[in-house]
Amino acid sequence: MAKELIRLQNVSMQFDGETVLDNISLTINDHEFLTLLGPSGCGKTTTLRIIGGFQTPTSGDVFFDGARINDVPPYRRKINTVFQKYALFPHLDVYDNIAFGLRVSKLPEPEVDRRVMEMLEIVSLRGFQNRKVTSLSGGQQQRVAIARALVNQPKVLLLDEPLGALDMRLRKDMQNELKRIQQALEITFIYVTHDQEEALAMSDTVVVMDKGCIQQIGSPVSIYNEPENAFVADFIGESNILDGIMRKDYEVEFFGHRYQCLDKGFAKNEPVDVVIRPEDIDIVPPGGGYLSATVTNVIFKGTFYDTFVDVGDFKWLIQTTDFHEIGDVIGISLDPDAIHVMKKSQYSEQFGDYSSYSAEYDEMEEDPEGEADEE
Amino acid sequence: MKNKLLAGPYLLWMVVFTLIPLGIVVYYAFTDSMTGSFTLSNLAKIGIYLPIFFRSIGLAAIACMICLVIGYPVAYCIASVGETWRRFLSMLVMLPMCMSFLLRTLAWVALLEDTGILNHALSLLGIGPLPLVRNNGAVILGMVYNYLPYMITPLYTVILKIDPKLEEAAQDLGCSGAQVFRRVTLPLSIPGIVSGITMVFVPAVSTFYISQKLGGTGTVLIGDVIESQFKTAYNPNLGAALSLILMVMVLICVGVMNHFSSDDIGEEMMPL
Ligand SMILES: Nc1ncnc2c1ncn2[C@@H]1O[C@H](COP(=O)(O)OP(=O)(O)OP(=O)(O)O)[C@@H](O)[C@H]1O
Ligand SMILES: [Mg+2]
Repeated sequence: MAKELIRLQNVSMQFDGETVLDNISLTINDHEFLTLLGPSGCGKTTTLRIIGGFQTPTSGDVFFDGARINDVPPYRRKINTVFQKYALFPHLDVYDNIAFGLRVSKLPEPEVDRRVMEMLEIVSLRGFQNRKVTSLSGGQQQRVAIARALVNQPKVLLLDEPLGALDMRLRKDMQNELKRIQQALEITFIYVTHDQEEALAMSDTVVVMDKGCIQQIGSPVSIYNEPENAFVADFIGESNILDGIMRKDYEVEFFGHRYQCLDKGFAKNEPVDVVIRPEDIDIVPPGGGYLSATVTNVIFKGTFYDTFVDVGDFKWLIQTTDFHEIGDVIGISLDPDAIHVMKKSQYSEQFGDYSSYSAEYDEMEEDPEGEADEE
Repeated sequence: MKNKLLAGPYLLWMVVFTLIPLGIVVYYAFTDSMTGSFTLSNLAKIGIYLPIFFRSIGLAAIACMICLVIGYPVAYCIASVGETWRRFLSMLVMLPMCMSFLLRTLAWVALLEDTGILNHALSLLGIGPLPLVRNNGAVILGMVYNYLPYMITPLYTVILKIDPKLEEAAQDLGCSGAQVFRRVTLPLSIPGIVSGITMVFVPAVSTFYISQKLGGTGTVLIGDVIESQFKTAYNPNLGAALSLILMVMVLICVGVMNHFSSDDIGEEMMPL
């Protein structure tokens, strides 16, 4: 049974009258790997700073092990932080940086030495102990920052984009390493990233944030498969988001077709957002009652093709291992579990159509009318 | 190449107004005042003046420490307040420097002398007159007053550059406020402390005006002696020798200090 460790209750944060966190409530369990995920400026760092004690919320309460800790200073919290910009001490070498916390808590020097050396091993920086931290690469500095926090064996570790400066390969290695450490030492991790892949791969729980609000809390699988609104669907992975109408339980209509789905509990004929993941779409020969589409662009992605198709005046993205030529007409088949229905939200209309969306696909010709529709 | 050309005017300036005069000082120091022949007798006279050297260094060192003790908290405050206040406060620190050095020192005489403003005020309370001037204390006061801005300015510049995230990181790792200061803020201020001490110590150790106006007969400083060799005693060779010795002593002091501080701090922080 999971035990509650940290709880944020109706926490709001304002800077100069500007609301940065808007009434956030969040429970973090002991030994959990929880990730705050969201675009830049959504308040991830601010949330961490409130938990770490570097910022006092404008309103709301923070609990640790059941006790309210709003007024407990950072140095009295059993929490350590890996800062977004490392914040290593430039006047100390790698060894002394890592030993810093142990020495503050007056551990005997042999014990300090043992733990620092062990930590250097874990972050693969053996032999670097006497280097000046300013002479290290970004990735090495990041690993020193991780070691400096971990060596104290805190109950909770806050990590603010700890792998941001690493290249792909090292990033993957460190992800595995962090996950292993977290499980071995049974530390609660609160992890911040704006990389959705990283969040899905590492976390027990993902908290998706935008504009200072929590959009969804859930396991990686449920966040991916059952996004609660268009923002989450769009932010986590690729998705086609269409306007639909829920005709009745387990039946949704879009583009004039009715489809079986797995969702229920909507009002009859309620307008909804429908999410279809690009990899869930089956391509079939055209005709025979299937939705028909024209291929407008194909991009080779290594293991699959990003295939853009027009369905009416709506652009879809399909990920398929089969190659289709531009101009081909294809049929689109959708299984019930390929369709996910969401309530309309403030984010409806903002996402979904691949003609007006996404910097990743800006090699596609822009549709100025589509842009205007967003406003 | 171009960059080197840009340094040209400065190099010329250095040669004409620093290196050549230095050469002349060295020449005088090693020649006899009567015959003009090579001699070490000027330098050998250091024995007589050694107590005065020590007094100068001692008083300058005390003034330096007082400047540091007063200046550090001031610099720390200026660095931690908001932009507008910071500009106002640093202007306040610099303000006395807009006044003539001579005037500032004379003002202290007017304040402190037996018939001065302070003693006059005290006499109304039936106290005094107290011997506030013509002693070591008054000389130190004059040094501190005149050179304090030279301590505060480099300190403030360095403290301002310390990333507040580092202090947060220290707190995160278990440091209370005092420990943050001792383990992070203070070590990172060392470059400022070193340049502050240098900028106060060097002019203070060679000053002559302050001791003449605020000091008594027992507080002659080496600067006074050197000055008198050129102006009244007219023995420029001895004056040159004493300046040379003073210069070497100062260089040794500054060198030792820089050496010790650069062990603790990254080289990349040093140029600050
Ligand atoms: N001390 C502060 N004073 C004023 N505004 C602040 C302060 N700290 C953060 N903000 C603002 O709060 C908002 C959220 O900032 P925060 O650092 O939490 O974002 P983030 O999600 O961590 O973004 P990123 O991914 O870029 O790090 C931003 O608009 C930022 O400008
Ligand atoms: Mg951040």
